[in-house]
Amino acid sequence: MRHDAPSRVELLQGTLDLLILRTLLAGPSHGHSIAKHIQRTSEDLLQVETGSLYPALHRVEAKGWVAASWELSEKGKRAKFYRLTPLGRKQLTSERSKWEAFSRAMALVLNPVDQEGE
Amino acid sequence: MLHFLHWRSLLRRSRFEGEMADEFAFHVQARMEDLIRSGLSPQEAERRAQLEFGGRERFRAECRESHRVNWLDELWRNVWYALRNLRRTPAFSLAAIVSLALGIGMNTFVFSVFDSLILRPLPITDPAGITFIETTTGTTHSFPDYKEFRDRNTTFSGMAGYRISVMSFEHGGDPSRMWCYLATGNYFDVLGVKPAVGRFFHQADDLRPGASPYVVLSYANWQARFAGNPKVVRSSVHINGLSYTVLGVAPRGFHGTEMLYWPEVWVPMMMEPQVEAGNPWLDERSTWNTMMLGRLKPGVTAAQATADLNRIAADLARQYPDNDKGLRVRLAEPGFLGSSLRGMVEAFTGGVLLLAGLVLLTACSNLAGLMLARITDRKRELAIRFSVGAGRARILCQLLTESLVLALLGGAAGCALAVAACRLFSRWHAPTDFPVQVAVSPDWRVLTFAAVATLATGLLFGLGPALRSSRTDLNGLLKGTPGVALLKTKYRFALRDLLLAGQVAFCFVLVFGCTLSLQGLQRAITLPIGFQSRDVTIAAVDLGSAQYSEARGRRFQKRVADSLQALPGVTSVAYANSLPLSIDQSTTSAERTDEPEKQGRRRQHANWYDISPGLLETMQIPLLRGRDFSEHDNEHAPTVAIVNQTFARKILRTTNPIGKTFRYGPQSPAIQVIGLVADGKYVSLTEDPDPVVFRSILQDYNPTTTFVVRSRTSADAMVRQIRKQIAVLDAKLPVYGTGSLENMLGFAMFPMQAAAIALSAFGVLALLLTVTGIYGLVAYSVARRTRELGIRIAVGARSFEVLRLVLGKLLLLVSAGLVMGVLLAFAAGPALSAIIYTTTPRDPVLLIGVLIAILAVALLSCAKPVARALRVDPVSALRSE
Repeated sequence: MRHDAPSRVELLQGTLDLLILRTLLAGPSHGHSIAKHIQRTSEDLLQVETGSLYPALHRVEAKGWVAASWELSEKGKRAKFYRLTPLGRKQLTSERSKWEAFSRAMALVLNPVDQEGE
Repeated sequence: MLHFLHWRSLLRRSRFEGEMADEFAFHVQARMEDLIRSGLSPQEAERRAQLEFGGRERFRAECRESHRVNWLDELWRNVWYALRNLRRTPAFSLAAIVSLALGIGMNTFVFSVFDSLILRPLPITDPAGITFIETTTGTTHSFPDYKEFRDRNTTFSGMAGYRISVMSFEHGGDPSRMWCYLATGNYFDVLGVKPAVGRFFHQADDLRPGASPYVVLSYANWQARFAGNPKVVRSSVHINGLSYTVLGVAPRGFHGTEMLYWPEVWVPMMMEPQVEAGNPWLDERSTWNTMMLGRLKPGVTAAQATADLNRIAADLARQYPDNDKGLRVRLAEPGFLGSSLRGMVEAFTGGVLLLAGLVLLTACSNLAGLMLARITDRKRELAIRFSVGAGRARILCQLLTESLVLALLGGAAGCALAVAACRLFSRWHAPTDFPVQVAVSPDWRVLTFAAVATLATGLLFGLGPALRSSRTDLNGLLKGTPGVALLKTKYRFALRDLLLAGQVAFCFVLVFGCTLSLQGLQRAITLPIGFQSRDVTIAAVDLGSAQYSEARGRRFQKRVADSLQALPGVTSVAYANSLPLSIDQSTTSAERTDEPEKQGRRRQHANWYDISPGLLETMQIPLLRGRDFSEHDNEHAPTVAIVNQTFARKILRTTNPIGKTFRYGPQSPAIQVIGLVADGKYVSLTEDPDPVVFRSILQDYNPTTTFVVRSRTSADAMVRQIRKQIAVLDAKLPVYGTGSLENMLGFAMFPMQAAAIALSAFGVLALLLTVTGIYGLVAYSVARRTRELGIRIAVGARSFEVLRLVLGKLLLLVSAGLVMGVLLAFAAGPALSAIIYTTTPRDPVLLIGVLIAILAVALLSCAKPVARALRVDPVSALRSE
């Protein structure tokens, strides 16, 4: 899959948790559909490797940001569904504002004011 | 328990692994379906999905880690880590373990004693139903009264009477003096005890006086004298020369209902006239020798039973006003002669337990300080662990594990110590032939206590420092300025300072108390006790138990004394019924003959001894006026007496009593005083002088005889000589209470010795703890302020100012503690002087001495960290941090 991707962005350390939380804001979901959703919404720029995804899911579960339960998938198979907890919602808000501040800062540095007009 | 945890963890783990596998399988499946939908063949899709999914083992481990399912492994890791850390600082670890072992061990031991004496129920059926019945003024009843209570009550299912007594027991070899219980026939049935071998006596075996020559052996007696042979049943033994049949053996551990008394045999009460030959009292309403216990009927309350018994008591008081006027009874817990001894035992063991608890608390506060100081050294390491993402809980866990591991090691060592102490203590016998014993054996209560004490200790000294250090300012630490970081923490050491001051105060009280008691002991050994115990050997016989007539007894006493007098090296020989400071003391009322008879409490009492001529000389009791008894002061001569100064002053109200007369009671003849001796100690070393009258044993025959020999021969050799001389006259007569007079005084000294030993142990421990506590505080404060000290030295602070910085607060705390200690010692003075023999519980010289000693110890114990503070090199101090 990796070599098929036309262009691809490495995930920054710690951002996967934020993406997972944001994805779950739409409703409970299992690992595969979370990965697919992130990939699709980022226009295939972000590839979520299963090797990072599942440890991350278990990590946020252990932290109490998401809760997991076994339910039937859309195709009638047993799947582990993750859902956002109130704690996770709060975490998402704070992580998001941090991230926005960070990306704004990055943008300010990378695009100085005098070049903005171009 | 460990197995159980492990098993649960395995179960949880396998479920977790299974779920993880399912989750991964679902993912691969879903991906495969997507790929098939995009046009791949099922085989190709599966291959691709598997490949994409990648090496699952690796991230499976990561998932596991994030859940920490393997918490048991984690615990082991923590323990391992803790052990490694502790090994890195052996001095600290050893000090901590030793102080914990001593603290926990001491507490466990004291609790074992408390448990064995107070908490543990008697080894009988339904011990809660058994109650002791005493009168409002004393412990015992007359036997006729016992029978009335037993037969007329409606609230008890059974009521037994018993009496502590002594006899001469013979089986095979030589007769020996043996302590026993005389017990009514229903005794064992009321208590609900089952024999180990044979049978017990019952009500039907105890009907007529003298008709039940049966004996039940104690388990220890059976083992010691009969080698545990079950054939002992129905064999015969001799008691006071009469033949008795052995019925059975009491179960192991059962020694009647008195906690401290361990008799060797039980004999039916109806044998009283034979056992206590010459003193029959079964029909005497005026002799109150019977102790009484009963089993309440189910559902009967203590109040109902008391009311029931007092109804009978009121009848008795009406019927027999001479003996039973004002008779009232009450119920008490069995174990310590009713309530007469229980309160004392409870207060004493409880008090010691409290002291031990305080010592342990001190140890905790100390260790908390040391841990805190230790953690300071590891601040950087902890900060790094924080920054790589170890959670606060995890670090807290790790630090707590460390203190719990320490506590467990100390607790285990402490338990071993406590068990050893219990063994030693159980083997202890009072230095008298009276079988006083405290059987202390740890049981589940003691184990629980030790476990709780250990865990509580670990948490107590571990939690504070752990919480504090897991709440530090990360950035400050990583920037390498721990001084700043620590200043930012809110900790002001208030509690710890208070603890240190309290510890110093407590240490002062203990050390002061222990030096007081040692000084008291020292003084007591050289105290004027009214006689000289050196070079005196004693040996006793009981001619009453041996069925001697008065005439034969008199002859025997005289002949033994004469034969001993003839031995080489013997300076003088005498005999008496009892000696001052021995366990056997008697009192009588006494009053001047020229005064009207006094009633009740206003009557004056005096201790009395029946002595032979020459006893004053042999014991070297100073004769101040008049003369000693002579051979002529016998039953044919007028009754005379020798009194002590207090008797003269209090009862005769004169300093020269020679020629004055007194009487024991309205019926007694007038007795003339012929001699005056100096006051001494008679019952205990702590008493105020008591009035004492010495009577001539030639006039008042007494079958209980203690021979007193002053000689240059060693006590052991002398005892052999005395035994030989007595055996020449009567080989069957048991000789007891032998040894040097100094040895016998051990009994009088015992409470003080025990208190001195206990207090010394506490004192030494408290001192040790104070040393480590002060060291910990100063070492910590120096470590904390190295940077500050460096700066100060760099800008020109002198050694004196550095000293003031480091020691100022400490001196303040120690002084505050000492002031508190002095106040405490003053407040506890009366309690202290009750156990410690001392004339001045506020001895100023000793007080100042102990103050200076503790100050010196305090200063010495902080010498090392202070030296370190003085040596702080400003350059390296500023650079390194």
